[in-house]
Amino acid sequence: MQQRLTSSSPRTSEPLVRVDGLAKSYGSTRAVRAASFSIAAGEIHALCGHNGAGKSTVVKMLSGQETPDEGAIHLGGEALDLRTRQVAQRHGVALVDQELSVVPSLTVAENLVLGDGRTPWVNRRASPRSRALLDSVGLEHVGLDQPLGSLGIGERQLIEVARALGQDARLVILDEPTATLSDVESEYVYASVRKVAAAGCAVLFVSHRLGEVLTLCDRVTVMRDGQVVATSTSGELTIDSLIEQMLGEAPHHPQKVTAAEVDRDVVLSVEGLTVPGRVQDFALSLQAGRVYAVAGQLGSGASDVLRAIAGLVPEATASVTVDGARVAVGRPIAAVRAGIAFVSNDRKSEGLFLDKPVSWNLLATRLPDVTRLGVVSRRRWTARLSALVELCGLDRGRVGQSVGALSGGNQQKVFVGRCLGRDDVRVLLLDEPTRGVDVGGRAAIHTLLRDAAGAGLAVLFSSTELEELLDLADVVVTMHKGVVVQRHEGEPASAVLLREMTHGAGDSAAHGAVVAAGGDR
Amino acid sequence: MNALSAPAAPPRQRDGLRHRPRLAVDAVVVAGVLAVVAVGLSTDRFVTVANAKAIITSASLVGIAALGLTLIMIGGSAVSLAISQSVAAIGMIFLSAQSLGLIPALVIAVVVGALITGLQGAVVGYAAANPVVLTIAASFAIAGLATGISGGVSVAPSGLGYDHLNATPGGVALSVYVLLVLALSLEWVLRRTAFGRSLYMVGENRVAARAAGMPVGRTTTVAWLAAGALFAVTAVFTAAFNTSANVNLGGTLTFDAIAAVLAGGTPISGGRGSALRTLAGALLVSAVSDILLLRGYSTGVQVMVKGLIVLAVVVLVHLRTRESHA
Amino acid sequence: MMLARVTRPDVLLPLTAVGLTAIAFAMVPVYTDTTLTTFDVYNTLQIFARLGLVALALGITMIAGEFDLSVVGTYALGGMLTVQAGQESWAHGVLAAVGAGAAIGLVQGCVIAGLRLPSMPVTLATYIALLGLTSALSGGLTKTYSNPEVTLWVDQVVLTYFSPRSLVTLGLFVLAAVILAGTRWGRELRAIGGDRRASRVAGVRVNRLLVGTFVVSGALSALGGSLLSFSLGSANPDPGVQPLILAAAAALLGGVSLAGGRGSPLGLLGGILAVALLAEIATVAAFPGYVAQLFYAGLLGVIVIVDAPDLHHTVTRLRARLRPPGGGGTRPLSQETP
Repeated sequence: MQQRLTSSSPRTSEPLVRVDGLAKSYGSTRAVRAASFSIAAGEIHALCGHNGAGKSTVVKMLSGQETPDEGAIHLGGEALDLRTRQVAQRHGVALVDQELSVVPSLTVAENLVLGDGRTPWVNRRASPRSRALLDSVGLEHVGLDQPLGSLGIGERQLIEVARALGQDARLVILDEPTATLSDVESEYVYASVRKVAAAGCAVLFVSHRLGEVLTLCDRVTVMRDGQVVATSTSGELTIDSLIEQMLGEAPHHPQKVTAAEVDRDVVLSVEGLTVPGRVQDFALSLQAGRVYAVAGQLGSGASDVLRAIAGLVPEATASVTVDGARVAVGRPIAAVRAGIAFVSNDRKSEGLFLDKPVSWNLLATRLPDVTRLGVVSRRRWTARLSALVELCGLDRGRVGQSVGALSGGNQQKVFVGRCLGRDDVRVLLLDEPTRGVDVGGRAAIHTLLRDAAGAGLAVLFSSTELEELLDLADVVVTMHKGVVVQRHEGEPASAVLLREMTHGAGDSAAHGAVVAAGGDR
Repeated sequence: MNALSAPAAPPRQRDGLRHRPRLAVDAVVVAGVLAVVAVGLSTDRFVTVANAKAIITSASLVGIAALGLTLIMIGGSAVSLAISQSVAAIGMIFLSAQSLGLIPALVIAVVVGALITGLQGAVVGYAAANPVVLTIAASFAIAGLATGISGGVSVAPSGLGYDHLNATPGGVALSVYVLLVLALSLEWVLRRTAFGRSLYMVGENRVAARAAGMPVGRTTTVAWLAAGALFAVTAVFTAAFNTSANVNLGGTLTFDAIAAVLAGGTPISGGRGSALRTLAGALLVSAVSDILLLRGYSTGVQVMVKGLIVLAVVVLVHLRTRESHA
Repeated sequence: MMLARVTRPDVLLPLTAVGLTAIAFAMVPVYTDTTLTTFDVYNTLQIFARLGLVALALGITMIAGEFDLSVVGTYALGGMLTVQAGQESWAHGVLAAVGAGAAIGLVQGCVIAGLRLPSMPVTLATYIALLGLTSALSGGLTKTYSNPEVTLWVDQVVLTYFSPRSLVTLGLFVLAAVILAGTRWGRELRAIGGDRRASRVAGVRVNRLLVGTFVVSGALSALGGSLLSFSLGSANPDPGVQPLILAAAAALLGGVSLAGGRGSPLGLLGGILAVALLAEIATVAAFPGYVAQLFYAGLLGVIVIVDAPDLHHTVTRLRARLRPPGGGGTRPLSQETP
């Protein structure tokens, strides 16, 4: 499978980057066992695998953030000892980290040269180059002197990409660079990546978005359980075959059980939800027992809608009622008291208490239920806990373990489980419910949500993934640039959803909005 | 052991895995304690009942204030830098209220103490103000008001009831009994009540607690109210012992209390710690100072060693918790 | 653009603080019976010289997102070493102090950066240990410096308003400002204060920079102690916590954020000048000491409350409630609802 090199560098016999038998263990966990692959100059090489497959550890070793236990990294035929980020940078390894790594308190220009250790002096003449870099990632409207903190997440991510591409590196590593980007923004990243590759740079592209992997990358290395499973040219692969390599089994498409369309009680009603600059006049009613989705790319306002209903957006205005009773907007505690439970997309900083046992996390929001006169009752605590552990399908032996020690999927189960099995919760809001969760965990979470709806809750989640939207939701509301595009009941075509999420109502006028627009034409 | 049936245990790793560096840290701790014990045993007059009383008595006043600070630290508000000033102000109030009788004076002192610190806690809890800056501001305000109102002179007691606090039932200072009772009750509160659990969780991750709809502001305020009451208890004993109070009554108490909490192994970042640890920390600092005193070292050396103990514990605790996260 | 720059808190705060206190200072003759002399300006700068280096030392660690409580310990130790090692030659005294300060900073920096420890507990422990060490060195007594020429020299009036001591302090502020503005260390210092993980990933030598920051902080505060000992002709083993608190107040007034990532030496200069002016006003106008304390309390209280994140949420929420329906203040979105 190693025979084909990319078209842009057919003559090179020795690949620019060669990774030989890398291994790394953390304590007793063997994160990477024996990873070997190579990248030619001018090649865009994808690294795929599910969470915990060892991709991030490989990236860390290549970028100088971790030292391998075994194995060697060759760059340009030379074996390198990349002890720190600085050493790696000096050898020409640029990195766009999985987590956003720009500093909000600095200006855009300062961020673009951050970490550049070539000279101690501030170079006042660097700005034309910085300007050109910004323009190349589609940020013509951003000023160099603007504080980075005033920009949105997508723009910040693009600035990090620009910083890496501006380093004249030999190897550019991009670890999920498009995860927080809209499709338009992603296109700028693809174009820039193609440009640096064409200039003879090796690119390692880590992504969960299999579509972009197949269209952008020349070859794909798949990892599973810390080992490289296969390296194939992207032409030989399809999304299904790629998933099969990642999972070690053929993907199955679970059948959705759509809740019957009967008249049920409206649990949550939202009207006139406006977040200045982000969401305009959103309205939706949720019926008990059904699953609703707000579909939209990052920046579409989908996530803001959920956060606003949960009381986490202080500048939001809306009229929200739960079971007919009005809820004050902008205070999380008011939302919780009204029966709205929220599962954030950032479970580490806005969800779980990682240092605390599973049991504490599951019962965190229902301390009044397990206490008598403020004192924890062992009997109630244990009873509640057993029921919840059962409900979420968690391993009973792990309830005493700290949540931080669990896998992403199990952490998410705890987070969701915290909102389940209680009478006072009427509405369950989930922002990207399966972000950073592996395939097995995903199915389990989806089942949990289905069951929750079955138990009479109204469930509303936001997602950018078509598969998840189609599998899980009874009603999908698409959003684009802060406004609702269309409401779909039943089984919408994925192409329609995608078009609405990426282009809004404008282009789909011929399809969905034909009634509204037809009269004028 | 079935973990389901053990809800009461404080948060810690229970996976049974003990890594090498963690063992090394434990070994250092054991060696350190053994060294202290060995030096203590070889020190003249260290192992006497009288000396044991001296150690625990000298630990008692700092210890009670440190218990209050423990609540603040577990709740994620780092430290209060206004402890000395609060104690001085409460001491002055307590002594000037002696004419009302001991019990009313005590009640006034504890209530005012709780309110002074609780007010700061409310600002920290509800507005998420930075506790370090806020308590620096509070220390200026309290000291300024106390000086302004008292005219900068020492307050003499207006009655004699305070002297009951200097009693030594069974030959041990009353403050020692109070310290032990308070430490045990606080430990129970932290382990067994909803407030205690909320405090640990708010302290570990305030943002998550807020998003989950936990009463962050209330929990923090209650913790600071209780801390203020505990500072007030230290204040009344200190004032009673000195029989007069001025703005310098608190002395170096702020830093002594922080040192005791840290020496007990409670990390400053919040979400962990316990009252018993703080008690142990206060006793450790006191015992080492006592050994040095008996061996004829100057106050300067005692203070220096106290600083080094705190440094060592901070580093060791950090190494140990970091290991358990890896 | 200019306006945007002035409204940034790291510029606005020190400007406001210096402006207000300077006006209050100039108005002293209006509300008291005293008149102002050039000596009052000189005296203000002497107060500035006493606290300036400690504030600068604390301030740069705060920009880097740390909080070096040990500055006052180093300050005390520096003063004591200067007296004990510098009886023969002032240079030996200064060298001993600065060397010790830098060494202490090096150890602390290595511990904090190497083990990724929070700085507050470490520097607090060092502070306690250094106070003990200073007291042990001096036997707990104030030591006199028997070299009156040096004492007279550092405090002589130069250029009407200055003394060598205040000029040295001012010079170090300017030097720090030039270095931080003209090299990448300035932005990297703010970067590690703003987001340490991101800086590390971007390739900033975080550990080296942190250690350097603590070394500079130790050296500066020890030098501050030296200069004070020369000026007083003696060294006190325990300066109390007042210098620390005033230095912290000066740094916050100077626009440094306790969260890190924000601030500059010139802002710090503004902050410490405001503190010095206030102290001088209190002296000239013969205010009782507690008035100044209450004033600091008020200032810091305002800073901390204005900075409090959850208060912002509440204000934003209330403002959103008051916004006219239909979104008078909202940016028009690119599309209308169908």
